[in-house]
Amino acid sequence: MSYHWDFTPVLANAPLLAEGLVNTLKVTGVSLGCGLAIGLALALMRLSRHRLASWPAGFVIEVFRTTPPLVQLFWFFFALPLIVGIEMTPFLAACVTFSIQSAAFFAEVFRAGIQSIERGQWDGARAIGMTHGQALQRIILPQAVKRMIPAFMERAIELMKTTTLVATIAYADLLFAANELSQKSFRPLETYTVVALIYFFVIFLASQLARLLELRLARSGESTVH
Amino acid sequence: MKWDFNSVFANTDALLVGAVGTLHIFAICLVAGLSLGLVVGLGRYARAPWFRWPATAFVEFFRNTPVLVQILWFYFALPMLLPFEISPLAAAALGISLNSAAFSAEIYRGGIQSIEPGQWDGARALGMGWGQAMRRIILPQALKRMTPALTNRAIEIFKMSTLASAVAYVELLQQGKLIASLNYNPIEAYTTVAVIFFVFLWPMVQFTYVLERRLRRSE
Repeated sequence: MSYHWDFTPVLANAPLLAEGLVNTLKVTGVSLGCGLAIGLALALMRLSRHRLASWPAGFVIEVFRTTPPLVQLFWFFFALPLIVGIEMTPFLAACVTFSIQSAAFFAEVFRAGIQSIERGQWDGARAIGMTHGQALQRIILPQAVKRMIPAFMERAIELMKTTTLVATIAYADLLFAANELSQKSFRPLETYTVVALIYFFVIFLASQLARLLELRLARSGESTVH
Repeated sequence: MKWDFNSVFANTDALLVGAVGTLHIFAICLVAGLSLGLVVGLGRYARAPWFRWPATAFVEFFRNTPVLVQILWFYFALPMLLPFEISPLAAAALGISLNSAAFSAEIYRGGIQSIEPGQWDGARALGMGWGQAMRRIILPQALKRMTPALTNRAIEIFKMSTLASAVAYVELLQQGKLIASLNYNPIEAYTTVAVIFFVFLWPMVQFTYVLERRLRRSE
C-alpha cells in the first residue's frame, strides 16, 4: 500500500505547535522550580531526627514515587477540587501534580547528596561555631549540590516527558496541539511524526547537555550520586 | 464533604476487570520489553557497525521521546501505513514495550560492560566462542548485578500501563474514570484506584530496595 505523504497542513499550523511547545516548557519550568524547592524541604524533613517531620515526609515521598503519574494527575484534577472546593484549571492541576511528584524524586537525590558528604565537614563547621542550619547552607549543600547535578538533569528530562500526560486533561501542550491538528487536518501520520520529532530534538539536546556536564564533573574528579 | 465509598465497592466487578486488563498489558510489556531490550543491548555492545548503529538509533529515539507520544503514534498514525486497524491494546503494548526495550537495553549493556575483561579471556582460554562465553560466563554474572535495575524497570512498566487509558484500553484507571463518571464520585473512585496501585507497587519497590542493599553488601 502506498501512502501519499503531505506535510503542508502540518507546516501551515506551525504556530499552533509552537504555542503547544511553549506551554510544555511552561509546565516543565514551573514544576521543576517548585519541585526543587519542595524536594529540598522534604529531604531535610526526612533527614530530621524528629519523627513528626521525618514520617510525613517519608509518606509523601513513598506515595508519589510508587503511584502512576497519570493517576496522580487525575486525582488532583478531578478529586481535589471537590475536597477543597476550589476551581481547578488543567494548568494548575498539572503544576501541582508534577511539582510534588518531582519533589518526591528530588528529595531522594538531595538526601543521597547530603548523606554523601563526609562527617568531618559537619564537625569542622561546628568547630568554627556554625549552627546546624548555617553548616547545611554554607558547607554541606554547596558541596552536595555539585554531586547531584547529573541526577537532577536526568530527572528534569524525565519530567519533560511526563508533562505530555497533561494532554489527557485538555491542557494545550504540544501533544494536545497534535491531537487537535490531526483531527482538523485528517493527517495523523504526518502530525504525530512531526510532533514526535520535535520532542526528540528538544529532549535529545537536553540529554546530550546532561551527558556533557556529567563528563566534565567526572573529569574534575567529582563523585556523583544517583 | 462526606466520603462515601459504597458507590465504588458496588462496582468491584468493574475494578476487577480493570485489574485484569492492567495485569494483562503489564505481562505483555514486561516480557516483550525486557527480551527485546536484551537483543538491542547486545546489538549496542556488538563490534559490527551494522548491528551497533541501528541499535543505538533505536535506543536514542525511544529514550528521548515521551511514551505517550509513542502510544498515540502507534494508535493514530501507524494505521495510515497499514491495511488494518490497530487495537488500543496493541498500540499501548507496542509503545510501552519498545520504550522499555530501549531503557532495559542500556541496563543490559551496562551490566555486560561491568564484567571484568579477564572473564572473557578465561572463557576464550577454555575454547569458548563469543556466544558461548556470553551465555555461560558473562550474562549469568551480569544478570545478578542488573536485577535491581531490571525490577525498577518492571515497576516503571506497571506505572506506564495507565497510559493505555489514553487510547481507551480497559485497565484500572480507565475503569476508575468510568465509575467516576457514572456515579459522580471522582474523589472516592480515583482515591481507590490510587490505593490499589500503591498496594500493588509498594511491595515491589520495597523488594527492589532489599535487592539493592544485598547487592551492595555482596560486591
